Amino acid sequence: MLAVDFERRLGDPSAGSGQGFVLRPSFEAEEELVVLLGPSGSGKSLTLRAIAGLLRPDRGRIELPSGVVFDSQRGLDLPPQARNVGYVVQDLALFPHLTVAENVAFGLHGWPRQAQRERIAELIDLLGLQGLESRLPSAISGGQQQRVALGRALAARPRVLLLDEPFSAVDAPIRNALRREVSRLRRQLGLVAVFVTHDLQEAYALADRIAVFDEGAVLQCGPRDAVFRRPASVRVAQLLDARNVIEGRVVGRTEAFIEVETPWFRGRARPDTDPSAGSGQAPSAGSGHALAPGAPAALSIRPEHVILLRRDRPHANELDTTLDVELVDELATGNNHRLYLRVVGAPGLPAGDAGPSECLIEADVSAHPYQVMGVASRRDWRVALTLEETVAIPL
Amino acid sequence: MDAARAFAPLALVFVAFVAVPLVALAWRAVESGELADNLTSRLVLDAMRLSAVTSTLALVLAVLFGTPVAYLLARRSFPGKVLVDLVVDLPIVLPPTVAGVALLVAFGRRGILGGRLDDLGVDVAFTTTAVVLAQLFVSAPYYIRTVKAGFEGVSPQYEGVAATLGASPLRIFRRVVLPLSWPSVLAGAILCWARALSELGATLVFAGNYPERTQTMPLAIIGVFDAGASVDVAIALAVILVGAAAILLLLLRLVARSAARPSF
Repeated sequence: MLAVDFERRLGDPSAGSGQGFVLRPSFEAEEELVVLLGPSGSGKSLTLRAIAGLLRPDRGRIELPSGVVFDSQRGLDLPPQARNVGYVVQDLALFPHLTVAENVAFGLHGWPRQAQRERIAELIDLLGLQGLESRLPSAISGGQQQRVALGRALAARPRVLLLDEPFSAVDAPIRNALRREVSRLRRQLGLVAVFVTHDLQEAYALADRIAVFDEGAVLQCGPRDAVFRRPASVRVAQLLDARNVIEGRVVGRTEAFIEVETPWFRGRARPDTDPSAGSGQAPSAGSGHALAPGAPAALSIRPEHVILLRRDRPHANELDTTLDVELVDELATGNNHRLYLRVVGAPGLPAGDAGPSECLIEADVSAHPYQVMGVASRRDWRVALTLEETVAIPL
Repeated sequence: MDAARAFAPLALVFVAFVAVPLVALAWRAVESGELADNLTSRLVLDAMRLSAVTSTLALVLAVLFGTPVAYLLARRSFPGKVLVDLVVDLPIVLPPTVAGVALLVAFGRRGILGGRLDDLGVDVAFTTTAVVLAQLFVSAPYYIRTVKAGFEGVSPQYEGVAATLGASPLRIFRRVVLPLSWPSVLAGAILCWARALSELGATLVFAGNYPERTQTMPLAIIGVFDAGASVDVAIALAVILVGAAAILLLLLRLVARSAARPSF
């Protein structure tokens, strides 16, 4: 069990309200790897420092699997030395004057000599650092430095591993290898890990659970898929790079779907009653009641879930929202093509009767279908927003 | 073409201005043929011993008290920090004689603290203790400034990580902060010692110029003239001081170079 709920005022309090920054994260996790995701400056790293005991909250409570480490009501504030967490910071902070082995051994102070030797050998082995024991950190590669930092953090067998964007400084291929390694180590050692990142891909690749940070608070926290599939607010959808967020109003609701009318089209979203999508601190955070008919709501679907169709082919699932679109721009991103599609017509609304401005749908098409369908050769397309992947977000 | 050629004559004149007296000093010392005798004269030996003892004590005290001051100034913000910073640095720009008067007013027999000490039968002014205190007063700021800059150069991140690894604050200081700021500590100590060794004004006012008790080498040079002894004795003392200063400066350069090109 990991439970964080505290408040800490930062910056100059005498500068008056509006100045400074209030950190007030609140999230819980039973899962094994929690990702704190959010833009830089949203308080993720500071939250990690507070968990480690390096930043003292003004009030609140922090519970780790080993027990409560901070509780302002009970006047409890364990020093970092007593919290038994492994902490890997962004710039690693390997002690530059100590060798690889000495860095790894730093947390083993007080262990019997023989036990120290065995533990160092074990970690060197675990992290593939054989032969580098007597090198200084400056004499090994970036990826190796990451492993040393991990080994140093793991040495004293912590119950919790705190990782603050540890892979931001290494090249992409090594980064992927290190992510897999962290996953492997965490499972192998049975650790709870809290991983801070602003990288969406990294968050998705690693997380069991995600806490979405913005301006010092947690907007939503829940299992990875639930958070990605059901953002509790438009802000969360934006932070998760959902791209297609179209505002409108709920006009109908059945067991099978929620219908939302936007200025450009009428769309259907799945009626989520899944309680596992987690809670948030935002007032608009997602109970289904906010989506009663008449309530303002936004439709959202991720670009990778938009299905591109030819206009002359029928689409099988009639509950999906189909829209006639015009290809106005595209961007190749390696394996994917991001298409920018202007809505020109939709069943239910006559074409040309669009709202104040145009409505752009972003869709990702991977390289193979892009070629087979001949996307580049025509402008007129149809898209299906599948019911399963379309979500209604209360406004 | 740059201005180097045009500036060369002026630069040369200045270098000569500094070098000629030093060469003259060495020349005169050798020429007199009495350098060895003068170096082993009673007055010179006493002054050397006293200088060595007092400047070393001043350095030890500067390290003992100055290191915590430097660390607090580098790491913590507290009310009145600006003031503390100012007070610590002030002796650097103060005329040493002013420092001497201030010390006398504080620790002299009729001083604020000195009166109490006198009641206890402890005399500070015009004793060897006064010499050490005068040297400490004027030289410690050099140590504190340099070491503070060194501590500031060590990322607090290291200390945070070390704390999560279970290291006590003192162990963190000893195993992480000190090794990483070592060149600054060394440089600070050298500067501090050099300043203590050359201290004259504050000592003269606060401790007086008494052979064996308060007459360090710089004071002994004055003592020679006062006593009407041979100027060659003063020259011998000067030669030693120049030599010591040169050696310390050389050490400082070595430390600076090793810091610029770290071995780790």
